[in-house]
Amino acid sequence: MSTQIGIILGIMVLAYAVAKAMRLTVEISMFLAALAGGLTGVIFRTPPAGELIRHLVEGSATYLDVILVFSTATIFMAIVNESGGVNYVVRATIRAFHNKRLAALIVLMIIVLIPGALTGAGSISLLVVGAPVAMALKLLGISPKRAAAILFIIAGLSAAAPPVNIWAMILCAGTAIPYVGFELPLAVPVLICGVFTMLVLGWKKERSINLASALQEMPEVPARMTWWRVLLPFLVFFGSVAAYRIFPFQTPILGLPLQFTLSALVAWLVSPSKIKVLSLSRETVKRLLPLISTVVIVGMLQQIMTATGVRGLLSYAVISIPLVFLLISLAIVIPVSEGVLTYGAAAVLGIPLIWYLDSIGFHATVAIAGLTLLWPLGDGLPPTALIGRLSVMVSDYKGSYWEFLRTTWLPWLFITIVGILMVVYSAKLSFLVRWSM
Amino acid sequence: MPIIMILYYLITAYLVVLLVWNFIREKKKIEELAQYLLVLIPLVLRILRIK
Amino acid sequence: MKRPGLVKAVLIFLFLAFLIQGGLRLYRHRHFDVSVVAGPGVTRVSRLSDFGPGLKGTMADTLVYFMEGGEPGGKAILMSNTHANEPEGLLTTLLMLENAVVEKGSLIIIPQFNHSASRNTRPGDGYPLYFEIPTDWGRKTFRLGNRDASPLDQWPDPDAYIHYPDRQLLSYIDVRNTNRTWPGRPNGPLMEKVTFAAMEIMRREKVDVAIDIHGAETMFPVTNCIVAPDKSIRIATLASLTVKAREGFDNHVEPSPTGFRGLSHREIGDYSDTLPFLLEAPIPFLDQPTGPKTEKLLLDGKDPFLLSLAQKKKLFVPYDASGWPIEKRVGQHCSIILEILRQYSKKNPDRSILARDIPRYAEVIQNGVGHYFHDPAGAEKDCLYPN
Ligand SMILES: [Zn+2]
Repeated sequence: MSTQIGIILGIMVLAYAVAKAMRLTVEISMFLAALAGGLTGVIFRTPPAGELIRHLVEGSATYLDVILVFSTATIFMAIVNESGGVNYVVRATIRAFHNKRLAALIVLMIIVLIPGALTGAGSISLLVVGAPVAMALKLLGISPKRAAAILFIIAGLSAAAPPVNIWAMILCAGTAIPYVGFELPLAVPVLICGVFTMLVLGWKKERSINLASALQEMPEVPARMTWWRVLLPFLVFFGSVAAYRIFPFQTPILGLPLQFTLSALVAWLVSPSKIKVLSLSRETVKRLLPLISTVVIVGMLQQIMTATGVRGLLSYAVISIPLVFLLISLAIVIPVSEGVLTYGAAAVLGIPLIWYLDSIGFHATVAIAGLTLLWPLGDGLPPTALIGRLSVMVSDYKGSYWEFLRTTWLPWLFITIVGILMVVYSAKLSFLVRWSM
Repeated sequence: MPIIMILYYLITAYLVVLLVWNFIREKKKIEELAQYLLVLIPLVLRILRIK
Repeated sequence: MKRPGLVKAVLIFLFLAFLIQGGLRLYRHRHFDVSVVAGPGVTRVSRLSDFGPGLKGTMADTLVYFMEGGEPGGKAILMSNTHANEPEGLLTTLLMLENAVVEKGSLIIIPQFNHSASRNTRPGDGYPLYFEIPTDWGRKTFRLGNRDASPLDQWPDPDAYIHYPDRQLLSYIDVRNTNRTWPGRPNGPLMEKVTFAAMEIMRREKVDVAIDIHGAETMFPVTNCIVAPDKSIRIATLASLTVKAREGFDNHVEPSPTGFRGLSHREIGDYSDTLPFLLEAPIPFLDQPTGPKTEKLLLDGKDPFLLSLAQKKKLFVPYDASGWPIEKRVGQHCSIILEILRQYSKKNPDRSILARDIPRYAEVIQNGVGHYFHDPAGAEKDCLYPN
């Protein structure tokens, strides 16, 4: 059976390579890889011929809600940006912090951490506060490339940060381990890694700017802009997220897409300038197309990989590695799997891995916390590179993607080491779990 | 159907309209056209209450 | 692009072909009915919506079969398809519905507990849509469902699910998982209404024993076992020891963790006088490191990767080339259920529950599961329940 599955995997990789060589987009190349894998699978009746299209169509629905979240959040932020709100906030921040660099960096880090920590998605951090923070970083004399790198790493950490960590939740749901006691095992390393990143990438002033010229560089803000016009839409969003946390049994479940839609409506109503919502939404969707089509195609790919056994083979290969090599290889395997499958990777490798580690005396909660520091790194890796591409997009960096990725190497390495040490010493670190409860 | 669920169908429909509109307007990039249609698959299936 | 009109036409044609070919199959799956032939023991059939609000007319409503004995006694409720991708439970309860006769006390059976999930598929996981069981009269087709209710019936999910009433944070997916939404509430999300209605049955009917029937991965530590909280652990232990001694198969007891909320074996015991049990049989199909997810793997449980991992001692159940066939899994469930009822009746003679014509482990393995299903074509119309 391994040969049969190996052939299918080979064809998928080949199809991807050929498509890329023909200069097709990443998304279409991934789709063709899924299609080629499925067609090869049909030869072995895995899946049967009549089921191939059903698998592709069914797989496309895997991350439907993620598409809605991405789209509504981006439209919301596009409206805030169009109203001048983003510039307004950045101007104020720079005025307050321009000669307190450390404080400025820490405040900006926390601003990026909060949305992702609350929703479990680094993409939300980037979509909601990414653009203004990137602008603020630039005004602190940081190049767009480094600003993008900072955003990518901090957004990744925000996704791992408590209270909501989707990888840990998927793993807990799949392994029947309660999602409790994660607060400190996640918060402590996230803050350490976050501060480390800000200092490494943000401390150095790459160009000196004085306050007056910095403010002059920025676009004008409509005269009628006020603090409450900026804050009200965000209050609606954070307020509705917090309301469900504080009064979970009195608050109806709105879900992120509706929360963003409501915030967008408020932002539109309070905007001092007139905004053409329809054409703005249309442009936003055009800009988002690479990301939302990636999400759809990853679902298809995941479905085909499972139906053909490729996913099982990869999972089997990882679990069969001897323990010491396994722990070392996590540094590569976890991010790469995330780069190919996004959220799907947590289930494919994570579930059997955690059961295995748990059974040989590792502390599951701390081990999961450690692993979830590694997954977000993979969101910068091709083919999907969801968070990496978003970081580049919101920070207006125009150079090569690899240049951007290389800039992150030191924090990347640091986070990898922290994550793996957490897994290895999970039993010794279990006091973090006890202190959380 | 609960009102919140109805709102979700409206959000989905709005997105479908935007995607279809962009599909019609796009004249050059064949890959982008294909990507619009791929994204439309799950959205249309949801509106038809199939998946 | 040379002729944008033509290119668009071709793309739209492909799009429609995908939508129709794939969509139609998914639509048919959601609306496919399995015919249940109610056996001689079924005395009345009601609906879950008769016991709790907000279910009538929704896909979450499901049939509740009552099998009442001539003599008064205790009551047991059996639930399967709590997770609709673990079919050993469904086959076990259907087999009982079609054959068992209750002599004392009564059985209440909800075969499609998460009815919405049984009409859902699992995107991203490449399952077959159906599975077929060979019977004495032909093949009987069943839907293969999903672990979670369909978003067509409960949408949207929260960003994180907060369990009622303990406020434990659970994954957003678990808001549609009827083994995380216990004990439920009448005005919560749809799946909380489902578990609430089931709690109402237990409270109103004064049910003594509740058995929630599942399957679990071979790499999962809590598999091939009975999960029981403190109040039912004695009976679980006796049942486990008895089947080991008399019928020769292992099925250990796992204590229900007190800190993990929303599970049937936890909340039913805490919010009613009923004694809960959750049964797990190994289902290799659900493991991550397996070959293609085929109907064959679902039914015979044979997989080369798992076999190799078993040799490396990475599974929690004995595993050899014979796999873990459906007969064995259903047979185990039958014997364990009979044994739990027997042990409970021994302890509580005035509340005893006695049923006959339920096969045990060895018989199910020998005859096959299909042997116990009756031909819907030859059955009386009023015994047929599309489900
Ligand atoms: Zn289950």
